[in-house]
Amino acid sequence: MLKIADLCARVAGKDILKGLNLEVKAGEVHAIMGPNGSGKSTLAQVLAGREDYTVTGGTVTFAGRDLLALPAEERARAGLFLGFQYPVEIPGVNNVYLLKAALNAKRKAAGKPEVDAYDFLALIKQKMKLMQMSESFLSRGVNEGFSGGEKKRNEILQMLVLEPQLAILDETDSGLDIDALKVVSMGVNSLRDQSRAVVLVTHYQRLLEYIVPDYVHVLSGGRILKTGDRSLALELERRGYDWVAESQVA
Amino acid sequence: MSVATPSGVPPRLSPALRSFEAEFRERSVDPLTRLRDQAMQRVLRLGLPTTRDETWRYTNLKHIAAHSFVEAPLFPPGEFATTASLSLLSADARAATVLMINGHPSLPSHMDAWFDGIAIRSLRDMARLDPALIAAHLEPLSDADQARWGLVNTALFTDGLYLKITENVATPLVILHMLTGTGADNIAHPRVIIDAARGSKATIIEHFVEQGAHPPLFNSATHIHLAENAQLEHYRVFATSPLAEHIDSLTIRQQADSVCKQFTIALGGGLVRTTLEASLDQAGASHDSYSLLVGHESRHVDCVNIVTHNARDTNSTQTARAIASGTSRVVFNSKVVVNPGAVRSRSEQSCRGLLLSRNAEIDTRPQLEIHNDDVKCAHGATIGRLDPDMLFYLLSRGLDRETAQSLLVYAFLADVLQGMSVPSARAAIEGALIAQMPDSQLLNEFR
Repeated sequence: MLKIADLCARVAGKDILKGLNLEVKAGEVHAIMGPNGSGKSTLAQVLAGREDYTVTGGTVTFAGRDLLALPAEERARAGLFLGFQYPVEIPGVNNVYLLKAALNAKRKAAGKPEVDAYDFLALIKQKMKLMQMSESFLSRGVNEGFSGGEKKRNEILQMLVLEPQLAILDETDSGLDIDALKVVSMGVNSLRDQSRAVVLVTHYQRLLEYIVPDYVHVLSGGRILKTGDRSLALELERRGYDWVAESQVA
Repeated sequence: MSVATPSGVPPRLSPALRSFEAEFRERSVDPLTRLRDQAMQRVLRLGLPTTRDETWRYTNLKHIAAHSFVEAPLFPPGEFATTASLSLLSADARAATVLMINGHPSLPSHMDAWFDGIAIRSLRDMARLDPALIAAHLEPLSDADQARWGLVNTALFTDGLYLKITENVATPLVILHMLTGTGADNIAHPRVIIDAARGSKATIIEHFVEQGAHPPLFNSATHIHLAENAQLEHYRVFATSPLAEHIDSLTIRQQADSVCKQFTIALGGGLVRTTLEASLDQAGASHDSYSLLVGHESRHVDCVNIVTHNARDTNSTQTARAIASGTSRVVFNSKVVVNPGAVRSRSEQSCRGLLLSRNAEIDTRPQLEIHNDDVKCAHGATIGRLDPDMLFYLLSRGLDRETAQSLLVYAFLADVLQGMSVPSARAAIEGALIAQMPDSQLLNEFR
């Protein structure tokens, strides 16, 4: 589904990604872990199409298409979803209308008619219930005045409504208390099936207790240094990141 | 253009000023002639304002001063239908509309009976019936540069509207100003006086539209007087084509505990210069002004607001949102003056500008002039571009770039729109605003 080869990217004149390779197949959940400044968030933003992040080398194919040739909005319509680490507040843009516009943009790209207003509301209410969100969120501005945890739930709500083929969740677990973490994880797990894939970017293995990954990668210095299964996350928790880098040198 | 001269020597008259004087000399005597003559003499003495004058720094009217003007012709109202497309409020909002063609009201007979709580008369008739009352609403004459074109209006208006609000009127009243001329040298001087009696409450919407290829230069002036406890929501909505040029002067005087909400909405016009001078003359008066200034293409919008606190416990807020695209220029200057007696006054000025193109320009200057210590005044002004984080967020959800941009622009203007307490007026103004943006069909769903 997603194939990243030798990806290099630069942010504000600084090389961050330095030849990153990663392949994600349908049905898989990958966790990307790594120390601060290793390039985790840069990878997420580059995949979503942020323009001020410059790709200086490598290729990314997504569902058979050259992902890097597509603008951000077309990547979204093609089924890629980025759950932001810091979802921005947009006062004056209503939450529910954004959801509707996003869903209709995707349906339009797929040649489907616009969603029926009644069906849409029913869908939203069902997903909000799952995310344990109050319906008052519907009438508010996008993320406006939301707490950190509410913002993250809202990201997952959007993901559930849009049903992406590939979800990239950038530190969705940070700032969540244990109850919120369970709710968010349940939301992500509800989307897991053989046709979809999830990439979790995280600092902590705690999230991986709830969303069990098929692969765990260690990203450091702009490259994937090590790949393993869930036990790698536990080892990282025990031993920190330094030993990975050291074992590579050795 | 007029030339600065040593004091006492009259400035060389610009062609525009000469034509105004000639027009004035041709007029027959009316009950206001003495006052009009004083206004004319002042303008001749002081000259038309130029960019050297404080409130005109950003708006050069050279091309206007160089022109000789004749008064736009009087058209019979039958030639214009107040069709739905022209009326700001739809019929189901049950708004009443008074049509003013180049400043001449077209009033059915028995107008007084026609609209409960508001007596509506032709200004010309009212000046004959009660010249002292009308003169009181036209005075005092001011030498200030922002009042100069208002003086021209006082000297030269031929007719207008006098509205006396006496009760709580639930239905908004729309004054539809039609600009229509027969040549590039046409000018009109519409005058409106709104006299809100003690305890009355109303909404008045002045809406400027045009018909034909030659909209006259529109030198409109409105005066509002709010008696004790009166409440008024007043709108002036400029929705003309780039051919039209407006110079609009609005003066407001407020007595004790009166409440005024004023909306200046510049959606169109090639040149729109608006002036608001509000004075809070008695204790407890409050004034909220909202300015929504939209510069598209090569338009020029200049909004000057001056609010003066003359009495204790008076409140004012000014909320301005300006957007500029293309090569347009939008100017917002606001000033709050708190005089010595106006203790415990509060004022807030919030001005935000959004630049949508490299070649557009927004200038803003909030000013405070405080003459006593016991006041609370705050002001803030920011100008920026669309937030790239917000834009990326919307794009990452699959929205078209144009839609995302329009949505953010719309959201930026929300503070002004949310201040509108007449839903039908808000809906109409939102509609007009959205119609100018790309992807307007989708945006309509966001309202």
